Amino acid sequence: MTGRSGPLAHLVEHLTLNQVVAGSSPAWPTYLMKNYELLEHTADIGIRVKGDDLKGLFRNAALAMFEIIAEEKKPVARKIEKIKIKQRADDIDELFVNWLNELLSLSAAKELIFSDFKIDKLDKNNLQATLIGTNIKNYKVNTEIKAATYHELKIKHGESGWQAEVIFDV
Amino acid sequence: MSNVSQVPLEKIDDYRWRIPKSYKPGMRVPGVVYADEKLLKDIQHDKALEQVANVAFLPGIINASLAMPDAHWGYGFCIGGVAATDVESGGVISPAGVGYDINCGVRMLKTNFQYEEIKDKIKDLVYTLFSDIPAGVGSKGDIRVSPREEREILVKGSKWAVEKGYGTQEDLECTEEYGAIQGADPEAVSERAYERGKAQSGTLGSGNHFLEVQVIDQLYDRDLCDEFGLTLGQITVMIHSGSRGLGYQICDDYVKSMIHCLQKYNINVPDRQLACAQVNSSEGKDYLGAMKCAANYAWANRQCLMHLTRRAFERVFNMPWEKMGMHLIYDVAHNIAKIEKHVVDGKEKTLCVHRKGATRAFASGHPALPERYKGTGQPVIIPGDMGRNSYLLVGTQKAMEETFGSTCHGAGRLKSRTAAIKSINLNTLLKELESKGIIVKASGRGTIVEEAPQAYKDVNEVVDVVHNAGISKRVCRMRPLGVIKG
Repeated sequence: MTGRSGPLAHLVEHLTLNQVVAGSSPAWPTYLMKNYELLEHTADIGIRVKGDDLKGLFRNAALAMFEIIAEEKKPVARKIEKIKIKQRADDIDELFVNWLNELLSLSAAKELIFSDFKIDKLDKNNLQATLIGTNIKNYKVNTEIKAATYHELKIKHGESGWQAEVIFDV
Repeated sequence: MSNVSQVPLEKIDDYRWRIPKSYKPGMRVPGVVYADEKLLKDIQHDKALEQVANVAFLPGIINASLAMPDAHWGYGFCIGGVAATDVESGGVISPAGVGYDINCGVRMLKTNFQYEEIKDKIKDLVYTLFSDIPAGVGSKGDIRVSPREEREILVKGSKWAVEKGYGTQEDLECTEEYGAIQGADPEAVSERAYERGKAQSGTLGSGNHFLEVQVIDQLYDRDLCDEFGLTLGQITVMIHSGSRGLGYQICDDYVKSMIHCLQKYNINVPDRQLACAQVNSSEGKDYLGAMKCAANYAWANRQCLMHLTRRAFERVFNMPWEKMGMHLIYDVAHNIAKIEKHVVDGKEKTLCVHRKGATRAFASGHPALPERYKGTGQPVIIPGDMGRNSYLLVGTQKAMEETFGSTCHGAGRLKSRTAAIKSINLNTLLKELESKGIIVKASGRGTIVEEAPQAYKDVNEVVDVVHNAGISKRVCRMRPLGVIKG
């Protein structure tokens, strides 16, 4: 699918419930992330995501994934959790898939939703990052993503920076 | 996705199509697709056939890479894919042939109620079920277990639940593998998988998982219906769920390790998601041991869900579940790999049968069946979408001969979630369902639209193909009355 970006559930709200009624909650579009778009897949969800550099690509892919998963409820007092992670892989494809799957895994195990990612160090084999998240209770969870897959995974560097396509099992 | 597949197909007969081995260098066997012309058009609409060809690369694959009529594009394997590899001749096991939701499966139980008797209570029943059964993304259950107990669940499966008082011995007999596949190895399960799976026992989950109150609306084989104790107008319940976060993590852990096996064992597959290792390798054995843990967890989970269902019925009708005749017909896995004996070219062989969105359909007399189903053949439960039908079938000898005792698993998706959301209006959909007498309760409104009937193939057409091809036999059909979704 092309021509729009934004999480699935927002689109449902948009198309079926709110019909762009001002003041509806959440009013649509409240926030559009321009760094990714959804790709058509019969059963699962694919995204195409961009980044100015490799660090930006990894960060934007993670942001996109969590934007599909959950939306923040109205701000409440909450504790910010920071988790540092290290990943090693044989190549960039593996590093990218491992990164996203580690985030899904940590999110489920620690019951956190991550809202930002500081990529401290990244080359094609190594990644060090700090994940910033809060308890899942602060979020409305829309979509369960089971995993990021290698199927049709494409990571490339072009004139306008880096781009990746990845399919999530949902 | 609107592109039509260019994968070549040769017609074998009205219900079978072959992808020639010559299509891609590296295919070890041809592909065989079970479909009629209409369903084949749907299957050709996405990349499922390409995936059927890719699976034919797996070392040790026997006969053919198979696709059932509900086949559609997945990741690695197509959904609706069956592949068997020869364990003794270097055959591989691939986590992609099982999927992230290990032992996603479905169970069906009957009641003594006729629709006419309880039609005024359906709404009350659906609301009670919705309030009593934890559903939704990452939902947590009231059935909490200690870490020691969690390990016990991974080995004992449904038996753990029965020992806790959440069911009976009869329930175990009416579950594939008696609810606990042998050889589960808790040591092969990572700490993270334990952590991710905790607190999710007895939860339905989200996506296409559901619990439905149904009514039998068509009998096909009266003798078999008599054997199963099923009549027209009878109320039944269907539960569709899997191994939740524990299964996802086990799959993720082993895809990660098996990616390295491709080089280590010099395995050539066209999609890295098809990462695999010989069943007899240390990686293969570890995966199988861990996968079985998730399978057992899923059976325990569905057993807990059934227990909660019986409790909800007890609350609404104010009588014990036994008096309401809420007996389990059967529980089948439709995302699993199994080590099974099959006759190949006149010789019995030990095979690793992957069923990725496919159901075991063993014929009558098979030693894996409990005594009560030795004569009927294995009950096969095929859920459809929330607006149409579901089926009870039985396995056949033809399935033993052609599909390693396998058949379809459901309707199969037709439209992507995004396309469903774009084209379907929630309120209109709910009204349509209501006019058909179907009540839907879901924790996420998005789920209802994503899972709308229009997003699926017609299960009636899918079942027609497996019945007419002879790889399973229709017993009876149900239609939904109440749907609970995550």
